[in-house]
Amino acid sequence: MTLRVGVLGAGGFGRALAMASARHQHDVVVWSRGGRDLPNTIAVSSDIEAMRDRDLIFLAVPARHATSAAEQLGRVVDGRHLVVHVSRGLIGEDLKTITTVLREQTAARRLGALAGPLVADALADGRPSGAVLGTRFPEVTDMVREAIGGSEMRVYDTTDVTGVQMASATVGFLTVILAYAQGVGADAGPLAVMATRGMVEAARIGATLGAKEQTFLGLAGLGDLLAVVAGDDRLEARIGRAMAQGADPRHA
Amino acid sequence: MLKRLFSERPLRLPHLKPYVPRPSDPSIFWFNSERNDIVSDVVNRICSAHEPDRGRLEIALNDAAYHEIRRLEKQRDDEARDRLGYWRSMIRRIGKMDDAEQKRVLNSIVTTMAQDVAGNFDPRVYGFARQAIPRMIAGLMEPRRFTKGFTMPQSEVLSRVLRVQGDIEHLNHLQSEGSLVFVPTHSSNLDSIVLAQALEVSGLPPVIYGAGKNLFTNPIISFFMHNLGAYRVDRRIRVQLYKEVLKLYSQVMIERGYHSLFFPGGTRSRSGMIERRLKLGLLGSAVEAFTTNQVRRVDRPIWFVPTTINYALVLEAETLIRDWLTEEGKARYIIEDDEFSRIDRWVAFFRKVVGMRAACIIRFGEPIDPFGNVIDDKGASLSPAGETLDPGGYVERRGTPTVDAARDAAYTRELGNVLADRYERDTVLMSTQVVGHVLFRNLVQQTPGMDLFSRLRLRNEIGINRKLLVKDIGEARDRLMELERNGAVHISDVVREEAPDALLEQALTFWNGYHNATAASPQDSDIVVGDPSLLLYYQNRLVPFAERIADSGQHKAACEIEALGVHR
Repeated sequence: MTLRVGVLGAGGFGRALAMASARHQHDVVVWSRGGRDLPNTIAVSSDIEAMRDRDLIFLAVPARHATSAAEQLGRVVDGRHLVVHVSRGLIGEDLKTITTVLREQTAARRLGALAGPLVADALADGRPSGAVLGTRFPEVTDMVREAIGGSEMRVYDTTDVTGVQMASATVGFLTVILAYAQGVGADAGPLAVMATRGMVEAARIGATLGAKEQTFLGLAGLGDLLAVVAGDDRLEARIGRAMAQGADPRHA
Repeated sequence: MLKRLFSERPLRLPHLKPYVPRPSDPSIFWFNSERNDIVSDVVNRICSAHEPDRGRLEIALNDAAYHEIRRLEKQRDDEARDRLGYWRSMIRRIGKMDDAEQKRVLNSIVTTMAQDVAGNFDPRVYGFARQAIPRMIAGLMEPRRFTKGFTMPQSEVLSRVLRVQGDIEHLNHLQSEGSLVFVPTHSSNLDSIVLAQALEVSGLPPVIYGAGKNLFTNPIISFFMHNLGAYRVDRRIRVQLYKEVLKLYSQVMIERGYHSLFFPGGTRSRSGMIERRLKLGLLGSAVEAFTTNQVRRVDRPIWFVPTTINYALVLEAETLIRDWLTEEGKARYIIEDDEFSRIDRWVAFFRKVVGMRAACIIRFGEPIDPFGNVIDDKGASLSPAGETLDPGGYVERRGTPTVDAARDAAYTRELGNVLADRYERDTVLMSTQVVGHVLFRNLVQQTPGMDLFSRLRLRNEIGINRKLLVKDIGEARDRLMELERNGAVHISDVVREEAPDALLEQALTFWNGYHNATAASPQDSDIVVGDPSLLLYYQNRLVPFAERIADSGQHKAACEIEALGVHR
């Protein structure tokens, strides 16, 4: 059955999710001001109204833009919509998860967070990849698998929504630190200590906030960190290396 | 014997002429004419869910027999003598029964359970109760005016002691448009009585609610409970089928438009803290009622009314905090020996609160739909952006309303989180709680490094300079007022208007005249902490706000206090 898929953001992940959904013959609309490099089978709109008739919406904007994107989305979504975000990060001084922000800004309740060693290019091109989806709603898992899953893309699921998002944000943070440490010449031993202890401590904080510690040891946490160590050249790693070369953290 | 007769068998008044409800009567007035239909609806749904699968049916029957035998063997009472033989014989035969017999036995067990759970509603008892109960309470408060109280049109005493807050007009409008589900915090067994009174004085409809079987052990209360629509919840019964009956009974009642009440905390807050971990069973029944109505295309909205019940003095405070501290609370759901079952404590309690302005404040919060959205004046759900929503969309799967237990369980969990946040926001902090908190924080400050239980043993050992204490109370009050302006909590008029010194004096008077233990007392220029556990009980209401109302010198103690609430 053809799904109506919406994607907010046309960066690396937005583009990859749109292309993966289109490859599965779904009707895809990307909300973006640019919408570069997208095939003709994918519609692009700069009007948020284009999301109103979608079944499943992926929020694929950087975490720092998640609140304003959620606010705009809040004008057009209701209880029918299923919304899944792929942003790695926590918001504001309260370190809110992005599903919390979506919950506050929109009427959507069937929410999910897609995380793990998801590589945008692999997802876009249909190369083997895997991810974990944190959601309490089995329907969300079913629909995400229908939209982008398959033999080349394995989507695991967990009900630990908080854990997935905190683990994912921790990976982002640790990636900057590890790349910085590598850049300034730290040995492999201290890097391993930082990575492991960093994850363990984040897991303890997560457990206090209601997450499961084991989620941090799964795809959203250590699994994703392994992808970083294996050379997945993501933005956070580039920031860490730039800082090691003396760049101002605000501009790195 | 007589007590058992009254509590086990509902005492009903004879019906010489059946009451015919008028269109203006609240929905509960139709209950008796629908009672049998409701019971059979519950029985049919449970039986049809179990019957197609012999394995599931056998498990249900074995589970029922196993748990009932265990319970009755422990009870060793009249009920055990009557029923133990039945269950023992049944458990031996389950495997040998053919399909038809198993179904017959299931139907018989579920019917007995549903009949036991279902209540009764007698308009005459309702009419009597709404006139007499407030006056009886007023009489207990002011015995000298007891007889006069019965002739007064409205009890001034009661209205001085009980305050109702919230948008009553909005709720009054909604009651005729859909089913209201009141979900209050739970501190005392008096809650259901004062809430019924608050509904009455606000012109809101009477509600059905599940009352613990312990409330039925008192023959007088049992009579009123049986005849005012309450359904019986026997927490001793661990049988899965019984839990299904309770949940479905609540669900069917809500589906049919009966306004209901249940306490999502499940039991009285033993610690005195605002509930955070809610029991989702009955909450789920209301969410499923909404789904079922949508699937059947019945357009009957269901709205939840988060409600806080705030007491300056709690009838059972001493038993509750002792229970929490000894962790007995986890096992002792039914406490039959607490203050609620002792009439002398009732009299002492009511005589004490009569001197208190607004000793009990009931705050009806903003109503929400089953998905946590606020409701406008006309009953429409609103998105955070203020757009009108169709709540039916939440239970649609690709355009069609569907029953999905996993999805509804997830919605229920979300709703539980929303309610817990609302409880915090809608709590009205009372003078005894604020003073209790400041005293307890001083105790923590003066005993660095000590654990909670060591501190609780410090009876009459810690003195706090009265002037400093009054200053602390004033500062805490100012910070609470700031929190109130930001919508984080509410404070009572007494806390807002009285001088800090007067607040301290009042709190000491209220505690020390009623509770057996002395919470704190003046000695020279100090206030000496008497029983820290009593202070702990009252101050626990402020646990979520402790850090926000502390200055830098008090911050460490406030953090320790706030940590008490991590696992609440």
